[in-house]
Amino acid sequence: MGKEKTAGAKSDKTFGEWFRSRKVQKFLVIFTFMFVPLFLLLMFTYIPFGKMVQFSFYNMKYIGKRSFVGLKNYVEVFNRPEIFKSLLVSLYYMGGAVIQLALALFFATLMVFKVKGESFFKATMFFPYLISGIAIGFIFKFFYARGYVLDSIVALFGVAEENIPYWLQDTKINNISLAATSVWRYTGQNMILFLGAMMSVDANLYEAASLDGANKWHQFKYIILPSIKSIVVLNLILSISGSLSAFEPPYVITNGTMGTGTYFVIMNRLAHENQKVGLASAMAIVLLAIIILCTVAQKLFFAYVFDDGTDDESKAAVRRRKKQAKKNQGAVERGSSHEKEKYQTVIV
Amino acid sequence: MKFKKLAALGMAAVMTFSLTACGEGGGNSGSSSSDVNANSGTADNTAAGSTADSGAAADSGSADAAGGVPTIDQINVGEDYKDLTASIKVLTNRTDIVDTVYKGYAEEFMQLYPNITVEYEGITDYEESVTLRLTAGDWGDIMFIPTSVAKNELSTYFMPLGDYNTLDPVYNFIEEKTFENVVYGIANGGTASGIAYNKKVWADAGITEMPKTPEEFLDDLQLIKDNTDAVPLYTNFAAGWTMGAWDAYTDCAATGDPDFKNNMPHMSNPFAKRDDMTGPYAVYYILYESVARGLVEDDPASTDWESSKGAINRGEYATMVLGSWCVEQFKEAGENPDDIGYMPFPISVNGQQYAGSGGNYSFGINVDASDENKIASLLYMKWLIEESTIYLDEGSIPARKDGEYPSVLEAFDGVTLLSNSPAPEGEEDLFDNVNNESEVGINNNDYPDCEILEAALYGSRTLDEIMDEWNQKWTAAQESLGVEVNQ
Repeated sequence: MGKEKTAGAKSDKTFGEWFRSRKVQKFLVIFTFMFVPLFLLLMFTYIPFGKMVQFSFYNMKYIGKRSFVGLKNYVEVFNRPEIFKSLLVSLYYMGGAVIQLALALFFATLMVFKVKGESFFKATMFFPYLISGIAIGFIFKFFYARGYVLDSIVALFGVAEENIPYWLQDTKINNISLAATSVWRYTGQNMILFLGAMMSVDANLYEAASLDGANKWHQFKYIILPSIKSIVVLNLILSISGSLSAFEPPYVITNGTMGTGTYFVIMNRLAHENQKVGLASAMAIVLLAIIILCTVAQKLFFAYVFDDGTDDESKAAVRRRKKQAKKNQGAVERGSSHEKEKYQTVIV
Repeated sequence: MKFKKLAALGMAAVMTFSLTACGEGGGNSGSSSSDVNANSGTADNTAAGSTADSGAAADSGSADAAGGVPTIDQINVGEDYKDLTASIKVLTNRTDIVDTVYKGYAEEFMQLYPNITVEYEGITDYEESVTLRLTAGDWGDIMFIPTSVAKNELSTYFMPLGDYNTLDPVYNFIEEKTFENVVYGIANGGTASGIAYNKKVWADAGITEMPKTPEEFLDDLQLIKDNTDAVPLYTNFAAGWTMGAWDAYTDCAATGDPDFKNNMPHMSNPFAKRDDMTGPYAVYYILYESVARGLVEDDPASTDWESSKGAINRGEYATMVLGSWCVEQFKEAGENPDDIGYMPFPISVNGQQYAGSGGNYSFGINVDASDENKIASLLYMKWLIEESTIYLDEGSIPARKDGEYPSVLEAFDGVTLLSNSPAPEGEEDLFDNVNNESEVGINNNDYPDCEILEAALYGSRTLDEIMDEWNQKWTAAQESLGVEVNQ
């Protein structure tokens, strides 16, 4: 085979030889292996997305005639107060996302220092993530229902029935109730991700640190957190963009009523109940833009606050040091200028 | 080395082919390869040797003489096409009984026609899934026509079943699926709109006469609240569609006018209050006031439809506002089937009560199916709506006009049953268009009804404010669609 190759390099090749040549074979292997995933990606991601962009310029129902309306759908998205009001509901889910990350970090740190029954706790905490969102909706529908699980638990602590709030009906707390279900669902998953990252930290560091007199909080703050910074940032970005597109809890539990309608729920209602597919597509594109903006803003923010996780010092620390240095320098300069002034007054 | 390369190539090739195979397999599975001569049947009407594209025939608007497929009135179940071999698929929303009751119907039919295989597919989230599958064309042979198909689109998806004037004397509710005098769907029976209640609870509360006006009804609910432990009116808010059910009373039951729905797109402010407490306002007034006066359940946000059936049967809930189809389900849900009653909606127009009656989902047959599948579907559909026990089982008004009314509607003595008249020519989809454009969503969007309950519960808005808003939306939709408005 080797002989053929060297010979074929110069002389005219037959098709078979050309076909068997390393270059062509390499290309073929790459092409055939890439074809399936690329085909699936195109088929199920990019083509539908392109279609949706196209739909957003039409006045259309799922079936029936379509008419091109240009940017009218987008204008309408920005002119409808209820659409952007629904983004405020997402704030509850963002708050939930922060709490969820804090909880996940806390539990992951506990598990990194040896605990009894570690794998049991890991499994129970991760379990909710394996349940489908719809099923979780139904679980919590009953959990929050009047006189059911949560009410009974609260009553056990001696709270009178009339003082127990209506978890899903009271507009002051129903969004918090719903956001809590998504915290419950995703905390375990975040914890597993954090735990994975924490495992890669060299255990000798903890020992060395404790020899130096560092307690667990110090170890967390100076060893663990800096080492897993990038995964924390990644999780935060995912959770924030996830909360902008929160859908399952409000859709299943309250159907978006009583002021719990998130952006997605309203979009779904416009598309399926009012058959305004064009408008809903435009809403989807606007949401995409908002999510991209949020992600970029977060990236910039974290790039500013943290570094990429490889330096020993965070950017904030560098800044503090520089600021301190500047201050010292300034003090020195001021000091010297004082001296000068003194001199000048003396001279005058 | 060589082997590896070959293996890689082979793998890739296999994967590629299996993909395309998948696509083709999916594409053909619906039209089963039944090698039948559809035209050899005994039916007199089969035009010889016609394999004409039935889609084209449907477009031409002529119902009969569409290729070799007869119309529903021309076909004789049990006599014609006994040697037809076909396999048809029926889509249904009744996932709860698709493998039991519906399968039983199919088996009974297959004994009559051993060569025809009938297969059911139950679909959860019926409206949305079926609407999407319709556009793909290859969904099976018989389906319940989803409400999202406007009348002028019927011929694109469903085969003509016959001429309106021929079928109207025979079947109920066919005007709902009639376009330009051609019928595309026949309702799977129908329901009358009224209110389900527990007779025992109402009697215990000391009510002897059924309410005839909104105020009487609200007073009776108050009596139930004062004299019994039952929840006077259970809204079932959390389910959503149960709130949308209130829309069904706004036309015939609230106005006594079978043309009300057709006129609505032309009316200015159809939701305005009327002095005699009729019309849509009166319907929503009952909903709003019963919530505002505390006559509904304590926690609308956490209601549960499935368990509410048993609760009304046991007398824990006194009343539910739903179509008559619910009565059978309430009766089966517990030990007191005889306590469940059904009363007309408490609105009287000049002293006369009306009840709207409308068809359930209509059966439609795929226009793209092969001729033999169409004929088999016709046979099954006709058998189901005329000879099976389906309407007895479901307690609904039968599809045939000469069929017997279900016993639950006995309380409707003296009440005039009306059904919406067919829309005037050229305006078949006008109501749908204004309705969708305005987002008031009568009969297709539950959310506006939910808003009424929310407003009453929180006291955030009055009913007049909500109805004003609906009127404004209605007017805006009329303007943007350029509909002529009669003052």
